[in-house]
Amino acid sequence: MEESVTPLSVLGPQCEAQRERIRKLFESGASAQETLRQLCELADETIRRVFGELQRVREAGTQGLALLALGGYGREVLFPYSDLDLLFLFGNDKIEEESRPLIAEFSRTLWDLGFRVSSAGRTFEECRRIEQDNAEFHLAMLDRRFLDGDRPLFDKLDSKILGGAERQSRPFLMAELQRLTRDRLARYGNTIFHLEPNVKDAPGGLRDFHSMLWMRQLAGERRDPRISPVNEDELTRSAVEFLSAIRCFLHYSNSRNDNTLTYELQAEAARRSLGTDDNLRRNAAEWMRLYYRHARTLNRQLLRFMEQRPSSALSLRRRLLNATLRAKPEGENGRPFAVRDGLLEISNEQAYADRNVTYSLLTEAARTGVCLSREAERSIAYIMAHPELPQRNPRVSWGVLSEILGADYPGIALRPMHRLGLLTEALPEFRNIDSLVVRDFYHRYTVDEHSLRTIEHLQELGDSPDPRGAHFVPLWRTVDRRDLLILSLLLHDIGKGMPVENHVIGSLQALETAADRLRLTPEEKAEIHFLIEHHLDMSATVQRRDIFDPATVAAFAATTGTHERLQRLSLLTYADIHAVNPEALTPWKADMLWQLFVGTSNYFSRTLDRDRLHASDEGVMLEQVRELAGGASKTEIERFLEGFPRRYLAVHSAAEMAAHFEMYRKLGTEPVQTELKGKHQAFTLTLLTADRPALFASIAGVLAAWGMNILKADAFANAAGVVLDTFQFVDLHRTLELNPGEIPRFQAEIAAVISGRQSLEPLLRGRSAGMLARPPKVAVATSVNFDDGSSEHCTLMEIVTQDRPGLLYELGSALARLSCNIDVALIDTEGQKAIDVFYLTAQNKKLTPQKQEVLREVLQATLT
Amino acid sequence: MMKIEAIIQPSRFESVKEALLEIGIEGMTVIEVRGHGRQKGHTEVYRGREYTVDLLPKVKLELVLPDQMVNRAVEAILKSAKTGKIGDGKIFLTRVEEAIRIRNEERGEGAL
Repeated sequence: MEESVTPLSVLGPQCEAQRERIRKLFESGASAQETLRQLCELADETIRRVFGELQRVREAGTQGLALLALGGYGREVLFPYSDLDLLFLFGNDKIEEESRPLIAEFSRTLWDLGFRVSSAGRTFEECRRIEQDNAEFHLAMLDRRFLDGDRPLFDKLDSKILGGAERQSRPFLMAELQRLTRDRLARYGNTIFHLEPNVKDAPGGLRDFHSMLWMRQLAGERRDPRISPVNEDELTRSAVEFLSAIRCFLHYSNSRNDNTLTYELQAEAARRSLGTDDNLRRNAAEWMRLYYRHARTLNRQLLRFMEQRPSSALSLRRRLLNATLRAKPEGENGRPFAVRDGLLEISNEQAYADRNVTYSLLTEAARTGVCLSREAERSIAYIMAHPELPQRNPRVSWGVLSEILGADYPGIALRPMHRLGLLTEALPEFRNIDSLVVRDFYHRYTVDEHSLRTIEHLQELGDSPDPRGAHFVPLWRTVDRRDLLILSLLLHDIGKGMPVENHVIGSLQALETAADRLRLTPEEKAEIHFLIEHHLDMSATVQRRDIFDPATVAAFAATTGTHERLQRLSLLTYADIHAVNPEALTPWKADMLWQLFVGTSNYFSRTLDRDRLHASDEGVMLEQVRELAGGASKTEIERFLEGFPRRYLAVHSAAEMAAHFEMYRKLGTEPVQTELKGKHQAFTLTLLTADRPALFASIAGVLAAWGMNILKADAFANAAGVVLDTFQFVDLHRTLELNPGEIPRFQAEIAAVISGRQSLEPLLRGRSAGMLARPPKVAVATSVNFDDGSSEHCTLMEIVTQDRPGLLYELGSALARLSCNIDVALIDTEGQKAIDVFYLTAQNKKLTPQKQEVLREVLQATLT
Repeated sequence: MMKIEAIIQPSRFESVKEALLEIGIEGMTVIEVRGHGRQKGHTEVYRGREYTVDLLPKVKLELVLPDQMVNRAVEAILKSAKTGKIGDGKIFLTRVEEAIRIRNEERGEGAL
């Protein structure tokens, strides 16, 4: 500064001393609010002094030039190393031109005094225009504050010019602000649960609070007690103070404008009990839970506000629809909820004191993929916490939970369940990992967030998947017992929050208590146990073994046991890696996982007859079956089980084997034994009989004649030639559900056709019209492939073709006509694609190349 | 100074890393890559669809070392990456003219 009364040599140390005083004040326990106020006062005072000095020295008048504070500084919230956002307002172009040297010197002086200045200049006329490509500037202008210079100029701008322009451009600014906010939240994965969060910009950070203030300002909102109840204001105030204290602490610790709450600084903040006044000693993980609680408050308020104030105006059609829906207090179909503007809204708040009602809403969300509105969530939270409304049916059954977890969109329900505390109510074990930070080089999110993300990554496979997930789409769509897979994902990392050396052990302990409480069957528990115990195996195999080595594949197949488990474990591993951080699942890793899945899946389907059961080697299993079978001798059971493919052992529980054995014992009196289980439209038929020609085709034929659509089937034979076939089918016309009296006739007809007492043809004629296939939605080309190398005794035939009613009957009949015997069959469907693998022999030998060729031609002709 | 580029089987990566650590080499760049040399790919059929795996997954390590460390590092990689089967990978060596540490602009071997 030239000829300054207070030279830099004096002003600089004064500023520095003031800064140091404020820093010490903060470190001795002053509130963030007080610290920020004093920093702002220091900046105001220095700026006015420098601006005044320069005007005096340059003999420049104040008329036509005003200095404004914008953004955070405009709101009088100035963090220790934040920029000073300033605006020079010029009365006209001439003043702007004349002021340039003054502004340059002003900025330079402030920099030399240790202030980080970020300044802009606008003439009065320029301020009238709303710049469409610079919404950030106009948003910062919403926080304008007069600092020095021509006050009447500022007042004119503030009241006459900007007031009108801002009112007119509110829709534009609101849309831009919402777009910028959505982009910002997406940049941080739309979650508050980062292990090292940015306390300013990440979801739940201070920017959420400021964005909401701007939105309210743009909405011209007067404070509405319904939108912001008193206790919510208190929560907000407390959250802002807590986060502001952290941000001050970060600035001072880093000596720069760095807002990342690193692991090291989390430990230091916890040691200092930063932001708390209860004198409780907390470790870093416990202190971080406080952080997430406050972050959740700010993020929840912002999201709810954005939901209530959509950035685009509603169409006339939508407004009319909303008006109609509002007229129905009980929602659609008498249920206390309805979909409005693409969100589930509740219509009878008091009904939600009954958990059954709440869970019916959540089931609807999981089934349809429609999210609960934030307002609905808030109402439920209010009712749950309301002492005057006694809660009914607070305990959720496994049946209800299973329906949510097994639906297409489980994550859509689990998110609000977690926020509302319903997830920890249903699964108290989850509390161990609630907002839990575990230091890890790779993981980006807290353990609970990671677990929920795994589920969301799977659910995304149902819609428009990430290219990395393309291979896994059919696995997700066809996976059996999806509910068990999702429950495994909820439990798989719970051990990380338990005092155990290996988190898998802890997670398995959590399964024990959860399984008891939810009353899972032993089979369900065993399946989840397997998935938790082995949840790292596939990833380890991919990274540490040569997945193209047949020995690796065989060993991995031995671990997984069945194709169904392999499918679940593959999906779990895909999701688990994907949820570590956005970059963790590289295309390279996804491809490796897929290759291992394919290799192992093919290993299962090609080695079925190689791995035969030698019952005498299975002492434990034999004993279990013997106990359940009641009075049978071990030798009898051995005779029954001897020679079945090992898959039989893997896909059936001891109880099922005992039931099969009971059927086997009755073969002497009734040579065809059937058992039908199921409900609604999905049934499983188990059939036991002595092997005979065209057996498989006959069963498939009867099912086709009754209009049943076969989804899966297994056909096994033991060493004595007893065949055990299992068919999973859908009763398309609900014949059995609506006419339970028809079930015995259905079973009798199967037995009669197989025994040769009844001909199949008349039955099929009666159904021929119904069996006419509808045009397929997706065309599937037919392929017939033979493999002579995988089995010692059989030729494998894999057929992929368009699924249609009666297909299996046609295939089975063609095989029977050509005297091909089915040793083993694996039938599966994937949407409209049928994938069938048959182990075939002809006269107890593999098929000759000529026979294979004939078979190919016949099948191509039949199926095309 | 020499740059070592080693393309190895993913399954050997942990062993190679440990072997390099044992001789005091901690710094390396690891890249997931796909490719093939003489070990051509293969075709896998799954549910009627052919999946051609013509570019096989490999891991590429890059290390820049002082000349006196190079032979020991190459030896360690050879020993730990070798299975004797086709597809074990390759090691490439190239001379490096300069190394600069960005933090303090230190140059030469001291920057490694």
